[in-house]
Amino acid sequence: MSRHAAPVRGPRPDITTSPTTPIRRSPPAAHREHWGVSGFGTQLWVLALRSIRTAFGHYRLIFLGILQPVVIMLLFSQAFAGVSELPGVASYGSYINYLLPATLVTIAVITAMSSGAALMFEITSGFVGRLRTMPISLFAVLLARSISDTLRLVVQLAAAMVVAVLVLDFRSTSWVASVAACALTAAVGWGMSWVFIAIATWRPSQEVMQAASFVVIFPLMFTTSAYMPVESMPGWMEAVATVNPLTYAIDAVRALTVGDPYGTDLAAALALLCCAALIGILTAAHGIRRTR
Amino acid sequence: MPTHAPVHVLGLGKTYGKVVALDGISFTIDEGSVLGVLGHNGAGKTSLIDILTTGARPTSGAATICGWDVVRFPHHVRRSIGVAGQFATVDEELTGRAQLVLLARLYGAGRRAARDRADELIDAFGLADAARRKVRTYSGGMRRKLDLAAGLVARPPVLFLDEPTTGLDPVSRNVLWEIVTDLAHQGTAVLLTTQYLDEADVLADTLIVLARGRVVAEGRPADLKRSLGNRTVAIRFPSLTASEYAAQCVASHGFRPVRDSGEPLLRIPVSGTGDIASLVRTLDGSGVDVGDLTVSEPTLDDVYLALHGAGDHPG
Repeated sequence: MSRHAAPVRGPRPDITTSPTTPIRRSPPAAHREHWGVSGFGTQLWVLALRSIRTAFGHYRLIFLGILQPVVIMLLFSQAFAGVSELPGVASYGSYINYLLPATLVTIAVITAMSSGAALMFEITSGFVGRLRTMPISLFAVLLARSISDTLRLVVQLAAAMVVAVLVLDFRSTSWVASVAACALTAAVGWGMSWVFIAIATWRPSQEVMQAASFVVIFPLMFTTSAYMPVESMPGWMEAVATVNPLTYAIDAVRALTVGDPYGTDLAAALALLCCAALIGILTAAHGIRRTR
Repeated sequence: MPTHAPVHVLGLGKTYGKVVALDGISFTIDEGSVLGVLGHNGAGKTSLIDILTTGARPTSGAATICGWDVVRFPHHVRRSIGVAGQFATVDEELTGRAQLVLLARLYGAGRRAARDRADELIDAFGLADAARRKVRTYSGGMRRKLDLAAGLVARPPVLFLDEPTTGLDPVSRNVLWEIVTDLAHQGTAVLLTTQYLDEADVLADTLIVLARGRVVAEGRPADLKRSLGNRTVAIRFPSLTASEYAAQCVASHGFRPVRDSGEPLLRIPVSGTGDIASLVRTLDGSGVDVGDLTVSEPTLDDVYLALHGAGDHPG
């Protein structure tokens, strides 16, 4: 298609205004070169990098992001100090050994929830609306979000670990075990982020999104061995706890950090997380492309 | 390669449940021309843009962009369009330049090409001073400019502008108008929705007026204005006596002045520029002091009033 011959248009005497900023009269559309389209990998990279820059681009965000796990841990270690007398806890040596894994997983779930909220904001603010009109994969947008938030989570987990060791006298069996525990927790965060991303893609209102997030979070966190041993719960709650993926994740993280056998818990946790992620991915991929 | 009209729309309809958003819209936009879509909120403008930019599916009819059907080949359509809107769809936390680089990369540009394109647009839009600031700190006018620049990153042959100047100050508005006029001169097909008749008048080659999802009028802006009427000259006089005398004078020259009760103000409908000149001559000849004279253009409301019933009362 020739772009040289622009159709002749009538004179436009109406435009006699002078803009304050000088405008160059030629470039924007003068010559159209074709870039083709970007690959999925490029899209993923560019979008993930953007989210990471946003997350780490502001010192307040970094500070609060790191403060959050520290506050949770300090609070719980003081408030629940008496719990360490309970029989289920005693076997872990000290309450911090019992608490740290739960704190790590709590941080993971909260970060996952913020993933959904961030995506939700990008949908309502119109940024995703622009991406929708572009020749790119919207799944790349979602995947980039989950990946960058998982990286953010890793930094938070590392900070929590450092504080636990330095301030709360947490002792893990080995460095490898601690790293493995963090990796598993990061996997929890990644899997759970898909649940919240999926909710966000169905474009609920801000209030509905918050309500839905809490409906997901509280039952998930409190029907686990996170803060109290499962054996000390009422019967029905104990039953729920035994089918909750987070229970296995927390138990596996605990087993890793104190050197207990962790095989079954780890396998169950990973299997259940994969299920959650898969359902989340399918729902989100459908939800984000949904046209009205 | 066969030549397709950049935008071709035939019998487009869209219903949401029982609500009819669009009802059999048809038009074509040629290379380098601007179609103005005029209508109040809820007239169907946004539904139309949503469908043409692949965000919504039509319930009837068809639309093609550069020959690609919007429903069957959305990906190809997305390669040919640029969108800028009423809501500045830009990322608050990025700098203006980073935003443009990001979009260029997503459109398939390499790192260097993306940076070059971003700088080119920043230059062309006079955003150089703000380019390295976060969008969060931008004024409304700067956001709109950046939003428009964002829509132009891939040099699209077709550009959709959804109420690009709603709520903008006059200076920014004029700047955007110039940019759009330039783009059209360079061959871009532009679809512009607006609530402002003067904006459509300045920018559009052809105009369609939407009401309740239907085209109630179409044509060149000048013809449309002529068909519906008239401009109004409002003249304020120093005193009621003067305005009364002036009213008699102009009435004797064939004008139909409308008196404003209690105020020394006359409103006189005129049809063309010649009328205004003869009105001024008449007043000058009568020797009346004129305090203040303004000419007001017909507004969108006048269009609707002139087309009374065409779309507002279906059936």
